[in-house]
Amino acid sequence: MRLRFDDDVEAFRAEFVSFLDANLPTVEEAAERPTSTAQMPEWTRRWQRLLFDNGWLLPGNPPEYGGRDATLLQQFVHLEELGRRRIYHSFNPQGLGIIAASLLTFGTDEQKKRWAVPILRAEITAALGMSEPGAGSDLAGLRTRAVLDGDHFVVNGQKIWTSGAHDADIILTFVRTDPDAPKHKGISVLVIPTDTAGITRRPFGSIVGRDDLDFNEVFFDDVRVPAANLIGELNKGWHVANGSLGHERTMLWLSFAERLDEMVEDFRPATALDRDRYATLAMDAQALRLLGSAALSRAARGEEDVASISVLKLFGSEAVRTAARHALLAQGADGLPRHGVTRPFEHMNLDWFFASWFERYARSFSGTIAGGTSEIQRTIIAERVLGLPRG
Amino acid sequence: MLFEFDDDQQLLRQTVRDVLSKECPPALVRSVADEGTDPAPLWRTYAGLGWTELTETTEAVELGILLEELGRATDPTPLLATLTWFAPLAPGVASAEQTGTAVFDGVSAHREPLGDGWILDGTGRHVLDGDRADWFAVVTDAGVFTVPAGEATVTREDVFDPLLHVADVSFWQVRVSGESRADVDVALARDVALTGLALTMVGACKRVLELTIDHVRTREQFGVPIGSFQAVKHKAVDMHVAIERAAALAYFAALSIAEQDPRRSTAAAMAKAAAGECTTVVFESGFQLFGGMGFTWENDLQFALKRALSGELLLGGADVHRARVAAALLDAPAATTVAATASEEPHAAAV
Repeated sequence: MRLRFDDDVEAFRAEFVSFLDANLPTVEEAAERPTSTAQMPEWTRRWQRLLFDNGWLLPGNPPEYGGRDATLLQQFVHLEELGRRRIYHSFNPQGLGIIAASLLTFGTDEQKKRWAVPILRAEITAALGMSEPGAGSDLAGLRTRAVLDGDHFVVNGQKIWTSGAHDADIILTFVRTDPDAPKHKGISVLVIPTDTAGITRRPFGSIVGRDDLDFNEVFFDDVRVPAANLIGELNKGWHVANGSLGHERTMLWLSFAERLDEMVEDFRPATALDRDRYATLAMDAQALRLLGSAALSRAARGEEDVASISVLKLFGSEAVRTAARHALLAQGADGLPRHGVTRPFEHMNLDWFFASWFERYARSFSGTIAGGTSEIQRTIIAERVLGLPRG
Repeated sequence: MLFEFDDDQQLLRQTVRDVLSKECPPALVRSVADEGTDPAPLWRTYAGLGWTELTETTEAVELGILLEELGRATDPTPLLATLTWFAPLAPGVASAEQTGTAVFDGVSAHREPLGDGWILDGTGRHVLDGDRADWFAVVTDAGVFTVPAGEATVTREDVFDPLLHVADVSFWQVRVSGESRADVDVALARDVALTGLALTMVGACKRVLELTIDHVRTREQFGVPIGSFQAVKHKAVDMHVAIERAAALAYFAALSIAEQDPRRSTAAAMAKAAAGECTTVVFESGFQLFGGMGFTWENDLQFALKRALSGELLLGGADVHRARVAAALLDAPAATTVAATASEEPHAAAV
């Protein structure tokens, strides 16, 4: 056990830090704020492109895809520096973290050039079409149909949640191509440009406000998609789904650790009970970083470690939710106003993160619901870590 | 920061585990509890293996591994008290086979009116292994006095844990020499004791979870193992997560002792608080999931449950230590807080 990284990792960090010091957009440049997770103001695109061109966007990638072939630990300190300086990695986070990553893993060279690189260089934005009204935790139960008709698929069905779809240029869409196969074996993945005829996108408000428009319903009505837009093999989409959700999961906990650090800074307890809850928050923040660091060490050695990723997700997301609840409750009636500022404005960060305590509490549920609910995580841990029998 | 055990540490854990499975099996623990079997031969085995010499602060992580495994095996010897209560206050005093403990509170020291000795007076309550220590390290406002056990009047308490030795240790105007007094780092010693107890509790909690998992995998109701029910699974997972959290904070405290890190005191408070919180979850869910069988004297679950719970009751419970954490982070100068340290010390940023 040790408290420090090796010198080469720290040298890597120092190089990135000096890049940030020299190139970070100013507060004035960042005046226009993003309105959804696929709406990127021009300055955010310029910034992402600068990161890409200098190999600092996704350092683990090769240079042609915005990286510099960095090791896992180097990738970690890169994310750690972004987090510490409250720099949001990409204002189209699913495009960068899931969709481009899936295209780079499963796409052809042509597909990488056509969609992955433009997403990474923020020339286009992307949304993820997985969940459906009847397929949430049971994702493999999705029913949106795609039927091959000559050199096109014809797509009919509905997606929901599809964050940012109304602002996105493409949707990575999971469709059923073989209705007779077992449900995991009849799924395929298509890139569908949102300007294709027959697509209707309907953004809807969140619990935060009717004007908070990121969630979408997306309807597909005889949408014709070129067969060349198929990602990976036909009916092997479940493989892509697992790969997509697997990307960056090793370090997903870091975002929860950052939320906890912000809570440690922002929650100012007044009563003895608040102080007690504050201590719990500080302990959770510390424990999550320690457990994350242990998981990182295993991953750096190349160990497959799905189970501890579930532990980190469960623990991290619930700790954030608990802390946000405590911080809100500590406000009493001062916690009622809808709009409020609970930490200083950070121009490179999402505005969500310094919104009212209610909004921070409400948004903390995205951690415990999205990407596998806490209940799903507990079942995974029970079966894969503790070895309990399947129900 | 890389928070994982190195190869030597992993080997140590495996070695300790192998030794304990042979030398300190559940049958021995049961016979100590039920028949009063003397654990002294086991203590001599530990001494022979060099375990009682793990007293350098630089070896705090290794000591932690040993203590976690001993907690898991509900060790019946006075090793915890000797190595984490006594040794940090009186380094080099006891031989490898001798035992010791500490009287942290309740005793005062006054200079002898004539002569250069001191008079100890007062009672230390609930002293771990106070009835079977060869030496006492007595913490007073005038320094730490190391005295042979024969100088004190000792009364063992009858406690709910049949393996636990706790005693009231009284000094009635006992004269001790000036040489027995030393100025030692009591704050460090307290942190070692807290961390050691936390790791003992973590080990005991792991044992409870292991026994619980075995039980719910084999116990059938409604024609299936009860471990296939989600209500049972999710309780077991909450036990696991609480243990992982407590273990991480406890080993960080051990690491901060070994590396003389400025966060040590807060880390030790966090370790003891988290171990207590973990005990609450594990005791209740473990006991509950065992059903009526956990309620019996014959079931060995009781030893691990009691080891964890008695740990929570000693040296201040989770609430006491959370208050210390809050005070350290909110009231102390900013430089000593975890957050401030992280922002000023880029190399330790992961913690």
